[in-house]
Amino acid sequence: MEIKTEAVVIGGGATGVGILRDLSLRGIPAVLIEKGDLASGASGRNHGLLHSGGRYVVSDPEAARECIAENRTLKRIAPHCIEETEGLFVSLPEDGLEFRDQFLRACDEVGIQTAILSPQDALGLEPRLNPQLLGAVKVPDGAIDPFTLVLENARDAEKHGGRLLLHTEVTSFLLEAGRIGKVFAQDLVRGEEYAIHASHVINATGAWVNQILRLAGLHLTMALSKGSMLITNQRLSQRVINRCRKPSDGDIVVPNDTVSILGTTSVRLEEVEQFEVSLPEISLLIRETSEMIPEIQTTRLIRGYAGIRPLVQSEGAGDDRALSRGFTLIDHAKRDGIRNLFTITGGKFITYRLMAEKTVDLVCQKMGIDAACSTHVRALPSTTGPVGLKERFRKFSAERGGTLCDCELVPRADVEDFLKRGGLKDLRDILHRTRLSKGTCQGGFCVYRLLGILHDLRIEKGDSNNDLRNFLEERWRGIRPVLWGTAVKEQELIESIYRGMLNL
Amino acid sequence: MRYDLIVIGMGLSGLMAAKTAVEAGRKVLLIGKGTGSLCLFSNTIDVLGSVPGTMRMDEGVSHWIKHHPAHPYSKVGSTGVKEALSSFLSLFPPPYSFQAVGEGNCLLPTGAGTLRPTYLVPDTMIAGSVAKEGDVLIVGFKGFKDFYAHYVADLLKCRGVIVSPPEIIPREITATALSRLMEKESFRENIANEIKRELRDETRVGFPAVLGVQNPDAVRKSLGHGIGAHVFEIPTLPPSIPGKRIFGRFREWLIRSGLTLLMGHPVSKATLKGKRVEAIFVSHPPVSRAYSADQYLLATGRFVGGGLVASEERISEPIFNLPVAQPRSREHWFGRSFFGDHPIHPSGILTDASFRPIDDQGDLVLENVRVAGSILAHHHLIEEKSREGIEIVTGYAATKHALQI
Repeated sequence: MEIKTEAVVIGGGATGVGILRDLSLRGIPAVLIEKGDLASGASGRNHGLLHSGGRYVVSDPEAARECIAENRTLKRIAPHCIEETEGLFVSLPEDGLEFRDQFLRACDEVGIQTAILSPQDALGLEPRLNPQLLGAVKVPDGAIDPFTLVLENARDAEKHGGRLLLHTEVTSFLLEAGRIGKVFAQDLVRGEEYAIHASHVINATGAWVNQILRLAGLHLTMALSKGSMLITNQRLSQRVINRCRKPSDGDIVVPNDTVSILGTTSVRLEEVEQFEVSLPEISLLIRETSEMIPEIQTTRLIRGYAGIRPLVQSEGAGDDRALSRGFTLIDHAKRDGIRNLFTITGGKFITYRLMAEKTVDLVCQKMGIDAACSTHVRALPSTTGPVGLKERFRKFSAERGGTLCDCELVPRADVEDFLKRGGLKDLRDILHRTRLSKGTCQGGFCVYRLLGILHDLRIEKGDSNNDLRNFLEERWRGIRPVLWGTAVKEQELIESIYRGMLNL
Repeated sequence: MRYDLIVIGMGLSGLMAAKTAVEAGRKVLLIGKGTGSLCLFSNTIDVLGSVPGTMRMDEGVSHWIKHHPAHPYSKVGSTGVKEALSSFLSLFPPPYSFQAVGEGNCLLPTGAGTLRPTYLVPDTMIAGSVAKEGDVLIVGFKGFKDFYAHYVADLLKCRGVIVSPPEIIPREITATALSRLMEKESFRENIANEIKRELRDETRVGFPAVLGVQNPDAVRKSLGHGIGAHVFEIPTLPPSIPGKRIFGRFREWLIRSGLTLLMGHPVSKATLKGKRVEAIFVSHPPVSRAYSADQYLLATGRFVGGGLVASEERISEPIFNLPVAQPRSREHWFGRSFFGDHPIHPSGILTDASFRPIDDQGDLVLENVRVAGSILAHHHLIEEKSREGIEIVTGYAATKHALQI
C-alpha cells in the first residue's frame, strides 16, 4: 500500500507520539510507525517519576532547568496522568549535610522550590523513613503514568489527523540523491507492506536509533545503559523518596498507584534486545533503598524489570544540534549528507514534549512553514477514564457488577466496554491499556478471566491457550528474579493451577 | 494427654495417616492450622499421569519405580500403592464414589479446554471422560468468573451456553456459594429448563465443578434428569469444591471414629531429647499448650501451607528444623522458562525406608518422627501428575511404619 504524507515518525515511545501530536496540531500530515505497541521501549520501562530536577541540580543544572520547566508544563497540560505526590531528599547520618547545602543553593539558582524539614516533620509525613535521618528537603517531584501519557498523546494526534501504524516495522529506505525517497515498512501481524512517501523522516527510536540509521548506512555512537527497577507489593511512601547525595545506584523510591518502585542501577550493555535484571542488581537495590526505608528489607517484591537509557556518546563539536546536554537532535544533512533525516534521542521521559517541540521546530524550518508549537499550552484530553486511585475506588463503589481483577479492582463491565471498542491486536495491547496484571498477583488470575471474557463476548473463538502460555512466560521473566519468601507460595499455587489443573 | 500418634497437617497425607491409625485402634490427634490443601489443589486422584491409558496402573507404577528408585512410590512398591489407594476408596462408598475409567489413566477436560490425565475420578466427572467431539454442551454461569464455557467449548470443538439465573445477577458469585445454590431443587429446576431449551443433539452436559458440596451425586442425577442428558463437572480455579467434599468425608468419618481434631492453630515448636521428640506446642492465644505422643507424623506440605519455608537464601522446615535437600543456591531454584524444569520441585525432606527423616549423609535425624506427603524430596508432582497418589500412599505407609501395623 502506498501512503503519501509530509512527515514519517519512526518510534512509538513518548518522543515519537509527542512529535506526531505536535506535527498534527501544527497541521502537518504525519504517519508514525512503531514495530511493537506504544511505549514498548524506555517509555514503558522507567520509574514513572515526574522529576523536579532535584536529581540533576548539582551535577547538571541545565538538565535540571529543563526538568522543572517541563514538570510545571506537564502538570498543567496532563494533570490526569500525574499524581502530585511531592518528593523528599533525605539526608542520612553517613551523608552529612554538606551536600544538602550545595543542593539547596543549586535548587535556588535553577528555580526549584524547596522546603527544609526536621527529622520529626519528615517522619510525621513519611513514617517509614529511616528514623536516624538528619532531615529532608521537600521538592515538587511527582509520579506520572507513562502509558496513559503516551496513549493520550497518540489519541489526540489521531484526532488531529495523525496516523499510527503499530506492530509495523521499517524494513528499508529508498535513498536517492542525498535524501530518503521512500520508507518501506511491513505490518508484522497481517503481513501487509507499505511504501511511504514523505518529505521528512524523523528517527525517534530511542535506544534503537542505529537499527534505523543502518538502513541509511549511518551510525551514531550510543552508550546503552540498563537501569533495573523492583516493584514492591504495597505502596511504601506517599512521596518520592530520594537520597540527598550525589546521584548513584539505589537512591530513589517512587510511589506508583498501589505499589512502590525501587530504583535504579546503571549497567553498560552491548546490545539492545537481551537484557534482564541480575541478582547483584537486586541485592544492591534492596540494600541501598532500605537505608532510606528500612522496611524494604522484608517487603515482598512482585516484579523486577529493566529499561535501557538511550545515551549518546558525545559527538564532535560541529554540525549536530545538541540543544541541551539532556537530549540530542541531529540534522543528518550537515552531518551525513542526507538532507531530510533527523534523529532525536537521549533525554528524559518527562522532557519528551520539549524534545518533540525542538524537533518539529526544526522540521518546520526546513519545510519553510511558519507554525508555532502549542503543546505547552494545549491540554492533553483524558479519554481513558479515571486514572487516580481515589477516582477508581469511587467508580468501583458505585458500580456493582463484579470485578475481573481483584488485586486492582478492575470492574468486568469496564473491561467489556473496552474490548467491544475493538482495534486491539493482542493480549499485551489490552494489558497495556488497563490495570489488569499490574497488581500483586501480576495477572495470575485475571488474565485467564480476561481470555474467558474474550470468548464469552465471541471476540475470540479459537484456541487462546498459546496466548495464555505466552503471557505466563512473559510474566515469569519479571517474577523469577524476585522469587523468594512468601512469593514462593504464590508461585506454587499458580503452577498448580496452570501446569497442574489446567494442564497447559 | 498422651497420644499414640500426633499427625501434623490436614492435607490428604495427614488425613490418610489419621485414618490408618484410627482404623488400627490407636489414639490419634490430628492438628491442622487451616483446612488443608485439598480445597486448593485437588479434584481427582492423580497417581502417575505419564502412564498411558492402555496400561494398567499397577504395571505403570512398577515400571516407574524401576527407573526412579528415590521416588516416594519406591518405598512401598506397586502393591503398597494399590493397598493405599484401596484404603482411600473404602472411605467413598456409593453414591459418591471414585473409580478408574478402564485400567489406567483417563483424560478429563479442564477449565482451559485441554485434557488432563488422571486416575481415580468421582462419579460426578465420569461422563466427561468419554465425551466425544460435538457431543457435549458446556454450561457457564454469568457472574461466576472462574469458569468460561465458550473458552472451553471452543477448544473442545463443541457448543457453549451461559445461563443467567436471577439468584446470581447482578452480583458475582463464588464457587462455594454457587455449589450451595446447586443443592436447592428450585435453582436446579430453573437452570435445567433453560439448558434443556438450548440443548440440540448433545447427550452430555458439562458444568464447572460446583455440583454441590453435600450430595453431589444427587445434584448431578437430578440435573441430568431435568435436562435430559448425562451431566458432569469440570474442575475450575480454586477453591476446589470436589476437594472440599473429600476433606468433608474424611473429617466426618474421622470424628465419628474417635479421632481428636485440633483445627485452626499452628504448631509453634517441638521439644527434643536427643533424637526423640518429647512434645509439640500448639499456640492458641493466649495460651500455648504441649501435646505429646509416642510417634509423630509430619505432613505439612510444601510452601503454600508453610511446611517448607523459603527465605532469601535457603529453604527450611520450621517445626522440627529437619534438613531440607535443596539446590545449592536461590539462583538455582527456578528455571528460565515457566513451563520448564524447576530444581526446587524435587527439594524436600529425605527419609529412610520407613519414612523417618535423614540428612544428606543418610544419618537418622529423629527417631520417632515420620514424614509423609508432598514435603518429601525426590518427586516432581506437577510434571508427574502424582500429587494425590504420593499423599495417599505415603500418609498410609508412613503410619503403618510408625505404629508397626
